[in-house]
Amino acid sequence: MSKDIKTQVVVLGAGPGGYSAAFRAADLGLDVVLVESRKTLGGVCLNVGCIPSKALLHVAKVIDDAKNMASHGVTFGVPEINLDKVRSWKDNVIAQLTGGLTGMAKARKVTTVNGYGKFTGSNTLAVEGENGTTTITFENAIIAAGSSVVNLPFIPTEDPRIIDSTGALELKDIPENMLVLGGGIIGLEMGTVYSSLGSNISVVEFADQLVPAADKDIVRIYNNYVKKRFNIMLSTKVVGVEAKDDGLYVTFEGKQAPAEPVRYDKILVAVGRKPNGHLVAADKAGVNVDERGFINVTNELRTNVNHIFAIGDVVGQPMLAHKAVHEAHVAAEVISGKKHIFEPRCIPSIAYTDPEMAWVGVTESEAKEQGLNIEVANFPWAASGRAIASARTEGKTKLIFEKETGRVLGGAIVGINAGEMLGEICLAVEMGADAEDVGLTIHAHPTLNESIGLAAEIFEGSITDLPNAKAVKKKK
Amino acid sequence: MSDIQKILVPDVGGDEVEIIEIGVAVGDNIEAEDAIITVETDKASMDIPSPMAGQITTLKVAVGDKLKEGDIIAEISAEGSAETSNSDAITATVEAEIVPVAATVVEAPAADDKTKSPVASISAIIDIEVPDIGEDGEVDVIEVLVCVGDVIAEEDGLITLETDKATMDVPSPSGGTVKEVFISVGDKVKQGSVVIKLETSGDAAPADAPVVAEKTFAAAAPATKTAAQQSAKSAPVPHHPQMGVTTKGAIYSTPSIRRIAREFGVDLSLVKGTGRKNRILKEDVQSYVKYELSRPKANAGSSVAGGAGGLQVIERKPIDFSKFGEVETVPLTRIQKISGPTLHRNWVTIPHVTQFDEADITEVEAFRKEQNVICEKQKLGFKITPLVFILKAIANAMAAYPVFNSSLSEDGESLIMKKYCHIGVAVDTPNGLVVPVVRDVDQKGIHQLSKELLEISLKARDGKLKAVDMQGSCFTISSLGGIGGISFTPIVNAPDVAILGVSKSEMKPKWNGSEFIPRLMLPLALSYDHRVIDGAVAARFIVHLSGVMTDIRRLTL
Repeated sequence: MSKDIKTQVVVLGAGPGGYSAAFRAADLGLDVVLVESRKTLGGVCLNVGCIPSKALLHVAKVIDDAKNMASHGVTFGVPEINLDKVRSWKDNVIAQLTGGLTGMAKARKVTTVNGYGKFTGSNTLAVEGENGTTTITFENAIIAAGSSVVNLPFIPTEDPRIIDSTGALELKDIPENMLVLGGGIIGLEMGTVYSSLGSNISVVEFADQLVPAADKDIVRIYNNYVKKRFNIMLSTKVVGVEAKDDGLYVTFEGKQAPAEPVRYDKILVAVGRKPNGHLVAADKAGVNVDERGFINVTNELRTNVNHIFAIGDVVGQPMLAHKAVHEAHVAAEVISGKKHIFEPRCIPSIAYTDPEMAWVGVTESEAKEQGLNIEVANFPWAASGRAIASARTEGKTKLIFEKETGRVLGGAIVGINAGEMLGEICLAVEMGADAEDVGLTIHAHPTLNESIGLAAEIFEGSITDLPNAKAVKKKK
Repeated sequence: MSDIQKILVPDVGGDEVEIIEIGVAVGDNIEAEDAIITVETDKASMDIPSPMAGQITTLKVAVGDKLKEGDIIAEISAEGSAETSNSDAITATVEAEIVPVAATVVEAPAADDKTKSPVASISAIIDIEVPDIGEDGEVDVIEVLVCVGDVIAEEDGLITLETDKATMDVPSPSGGTVKEVFISVGDKVKQGSVVIKLETSGDAAPADAPVVAEKTFAAAAPATKTAAQQSAKSAPVPHHPQMGVTTKGAIYSTPSIRRIAREFGVDLSLVKGTGRKNRILKEDVQSYVKYELSRPKANAGSSVAGGAGGLQVIERKPIDFSKFGEVETVPLTRIQKISGPTLHRNWVTIPHVTQFDEADITEVEAFRKEQNVICEKQKLGFKITPLVFILKAIANAMAAYPVFNSSLSEDGESLIMKKYCHIGVAVDTPNGLVVPVVRDVDQKGIHQLSKELLEISLKARDGKLKAVDMQGSCFTISSLGGIGGISFTPIVNAPDVAILGVSKSEMKPKWNGSEFIPRLMLPLALSYDHRVIDGAVAARFIVHLSGVMTDIRRLTL
């Protein structure tokens, strides 16, 4: 059975970028068709990414917190873990959110077409679904096809003991020994979950620090905290994996490589994601896709074909849902005739590890590369009442200022709830706030969040919660 | 008895005025009526005189400050004989005369204190180069702002460059004396081209220079160069005449402001931020757009080719006139500089039509001469001029055709009809053309108007008109009859919608049906804004006008 649809806007992919583009376009009065290969809306983020991983990290956190209570005089029993129940709870979280999206799509009269969409011409798209092919003739298209995990050539992919992030979220079992290949955000988050559930975790990272995008001083604090629970191998790479019946034997090379191959029960491959630009037959529409699969776009999110837009992971780094959502809005608004462009000053990044790491704007190392004249203010959480009361003083809050003007150029936080606190720094960067603005804003006490105001006071020289390096020197 | 009193800014007839010169220094002994400061409005520049004699004890203002009525200018220690001893009364006496003094402001007010300060021992001669202007190729020099011998202050503009994106001044990284100028208008320069040789004035150069470099974009080269070299690299600042702004460093604008700027195609680096800490507010973007739309497009020679809808004319090539003979460059007077762009705007934005006629003024002239004999006998102290009758006749014609007493609303959607009748009279003065306004012409008699006209022209010739004397006109008369000429086409003085040009009257033979008789004919030229006034209405207006002039008894009808 085949079907023909005509529409003003077709959106290819229903992840955070895709559904946001579709909903925004619909709200601006356009006819919209949303094409998605999954059964549910929400893409990787809702189905096999951000959201399910946060559900499992919540489980991990409660297990860890309960265990840590012992030293404060409250002892819980050893947790009994019913994996099936944990899994179904996580699935419920997904169902609730994706169900919500389906409802919102209906309410907005966005037509959803289930199946794999590929371009057949500059104004046509064919969707292969369970019930045959749907041909969509469109005036404008938004490609929001996302990204997929990168597989390494020397690692056997057929072996069920070798999993990617999607496999890890399926939570089939709790391996005794698991190797996380890649010390980036995804690997560390899943490593945290499995470690809390009882696995011994090793992390191997080719670079000389975990999460290479973040500043060294931030990662160092994280690294010191987790080295008790993870076996971390930096500046080290995997050169071979041999699958035997009793386990996966991994050979390493590099600074911290073990001399002999090491046996693991499972390997989580988390070495990055690649854009899906080559998977939508974009060339049939005349859209250029580069070798790696990225589609280049203008600041209006237009591809080289004027009426075809692209957003999200498929247009470039950072591959983050919140970036895609904002690009989605701009693309939909441009199609509806608004003169908008995508021009954020900053895009935040968060690792939902334990402790969390969060950063936004320029990092200290970027500022050095760019030759910016900066001054950095660090507020150590050892001086935070709230952090001490929570028995989590390993954190710190760092603000990066333009030295001459005091303007906030960026910031980073490591510590519990760092991610929830980052928004204030994002706003400061976007608004062009300076240290005085942030320092004079009254932050509630006692909170972890007040550390941002206190870091600004360090720069201003008005800090009283720490020794003040900028205090007036008294004559003796 | 001496008493410290404040000198306040009197009513200057506008919102804000900018100080272009300060005439006194702390410690100076001044007389009442001595000029303290010179300020500039969009109409003219004027001195603000002291209301009393005494010694200046404090100066509260500097060149470039913007003042409004009531702001404190200075404090003065009054002499015992001062007119008042009660400080409450001072504000009243401060309502002093404001005198336009175009002649006194020819000298550029640049950095007086710097030139007076002793020349420091560590002066040096440095080459000032064109800094990174964000352009790969060469850009045109459209103005050279300094000459050899000029004493300049830090940040003073040296040359004006024009790229396809913007017009910008290259500022001097330090103060000093210009020893040599290497660039002339029309040259093409690029980063590194030497602009001038500057003898730095010691106090300004080496100490301040690194700060200047820091203030500019940090993307500049690493700081290993000498102070002098580095200071010569300060980045260009955008050229934005009215605002007089130099936006340094990154721009303070929030996401919503960047979005609105994008919608209007505004380059935020050219917008002056008036918010807290110079943040750019939505209102700033709006007023910038308004300003750019109202700006005469060709004043810098840059925007002549203003794209679609703009003026599409070819660029005027610079000509070296000295090739053909001896020349001398004389700067335009301040009044010319101020009125030029306004005239140009009116000339290009108002669709002008000029309607000609002749009025038979034989009878009115006879009557006028008769009356002047009486005036003299009664020693009234004034003479009735033909202009007064023209004023009355225009007021009469404006009452008959009220569209001549209107202005086009800002959005061009409606007419603002005026219920008052003020008429501007263009007066030629030694300093240039000024247009004082005679108020309520329709309600005044010939004698009253003659008296006022005499007063106002004397004031104009002596340069004593206040800004408020030149505001509020509904219609303008430009009379060149005293000089000669057959006819001319005057330019409408917006927001007026019409102007009458009067030329020299002449005795002409007129056919009365049976013979030629000599009649005194006055040539009239009525230019009007064709968006507001139809040709037929204009013809009726001028016929009505000459009819009244021919037989002034019609004024009483």
